Amino acid sequence: MSLDNILNHWSDYRKGAEEGGHHDYEHRWAMAINLDLCIGCNACSTACYAENNLAVVGKEKFEKGQAMHWMRIERYWDQQELEHPEQGASFLPMMCQQCGAATCEPVCPVAATYHTPDGLNAQVYNRCIGSRYCSNNCPFRVRYFNFYSYYESSWPEPMEQQLNPDISVRDKGVMEKCTFCMQRIRTVKDKAFMEDRKVKDGEVVPACAQSCPTSAIVFGDTMDDGSMVSKLWKKHQVERGIYQKTKLAKKDADLRGYRIFEELNVDPSVMYLERVREDI
Amino acid sequence: MVVKNRLINPGADFARAGLAGMVLLVMLLMSSTAMAVKYDVVPPSGTHKGEDVPQPIEFPHDVHVKDNDINCMYCHTYARRSKVAGIPPTSKCMGCHKVIATDKPRIQELTKYWENKESPPWKKVHDLPDFVHFTHEKHLKTLAFDREFPVEDVKEICAFCHGDVENMTVANKVKPLNMGFCVNCHIANKDLGAPGDCWKCHK
Repeated sequence: MSLDNILNHWSDYRKGAEEGGHHDYEHRWAMAINLDLCIGCNACSTACYAENNLAVVGKEKFEKGQAMHWMRIERYWDQQELEHPEQGASFLPMMCQQCGAATCEPVCPVAATYHTPDGLNAQVYNRCIGSRYCSNNCPFRVRYFNFYSYYESSWPEPMEQQLNPDISVRDKGVMEKCTFCMQRIRTVKDKAFMEDRKVKDGEVVPACAQSCPTSAIVFGDTMDDGSMVSKLWKKHQVERGIYQKTKLAKKDADLRGYRIFEELNVDPSVMYLERVREDI
Repeated sequence: MVVKNRLINPGADFARAGLAGMVLLVMLLMSSTAMAVKYDVVPPSGTHKGEDVPQPIEFPHDVHVKDNDINCMYCHTYARRSKVAGIPPTSKCMGCHKVIATDKPRIQELTKYWENKESPPWKKVHDLPDFVHFTHEKHLKTLAFDREFPVEDVKEICAFCHGDVENMTVANKVKPLNMGFCVNCHIANKDLGAPGDCWKCHK
């Protein structure tokens, strides 16, 4: 994108959810995560480390909050007042929500993060100057900053052989986050282009969804009405760009779908299905 | 001398210039219409002076392409099938050179590699940075196959980014292959579907 292009189309990328966001989408990738199925095993997180060349920072840096896990499992206790086995742990996989009206995008001083025609929040590492404004503006806290150069230190001798060549190894001073495995999306789109067809549902599988032992994560294109994801979104009556007071309005047990921080009107692309518990 | 003439006798010079201009204009029109029919692609602009890359065997591209009219995609067969064009395996060289030009010293060197079951350690000339995603197959599909561009002339498409390999011996990098080079071509060829999205190439 030339400077002219950026300046002329700036407003398009900055449109809010009420105005329909970035208007000419080719795809709108989305997820549906069934928390009833999530067992908190962290397989998704591990798969993400392997797929996306994430640096393993170690215990000390982790304590300082410098971990680089694009996908993390948040743990909550349903009944805080009870003792351990009865506390009722519930898990929530948290990654970049790929908001339609993302709060991280308008604050980047160099347009390193922007909205793609796929409905994703892209992060261009070469462009990033490391101001960390985006991370501070993200309500989900899912952007991670390279405080150190991990290139030499993090992967000792034979380990650098497992690096994924389809995604760059980020260096010090660069912000990074979940990309919905855009290298896999790109591969599939390239293949579809070569075969003169559209991308089929279920063809793109991100590393987290692939590794989930209970298939809690469903990934797909919400622009494709026949896809598993759009069916799930429709079934649980979650719609893009519309803020519904889900928790209050949906008494029906079948309507478990909600998006985190929907009230902030950021239009996240990840729908969670609430965990159903028996009343004690 | 010419400048002086122009000042003294502008009339004669105008007439000469006019004639030359007419000829030029006709030539330009002809070439532009020919271009329009043949390409309707705006080739990328920019030149670069690449360093010489010493190869294990001084491979003469000119002999193969210009003198013997071998298609680029005969040896670089993966260009139309994958991201990278690929360096042909030694077996492909030997397919011809078991019988052709076996008395030449370079071919004898190649045969030595072949008999030792080794491949010559060819060096990469056009190397893009690790953070760039580039596919040969998509470019070839859009620029050549989808427009029914004659396959025998495909070297003209290759020349967009690889220069006049036809007249080189060992290939040399003559195009900058930097971001501006790619982006300007993508903007100029928007109608062909060239994407302008950062994440199409950055990874």
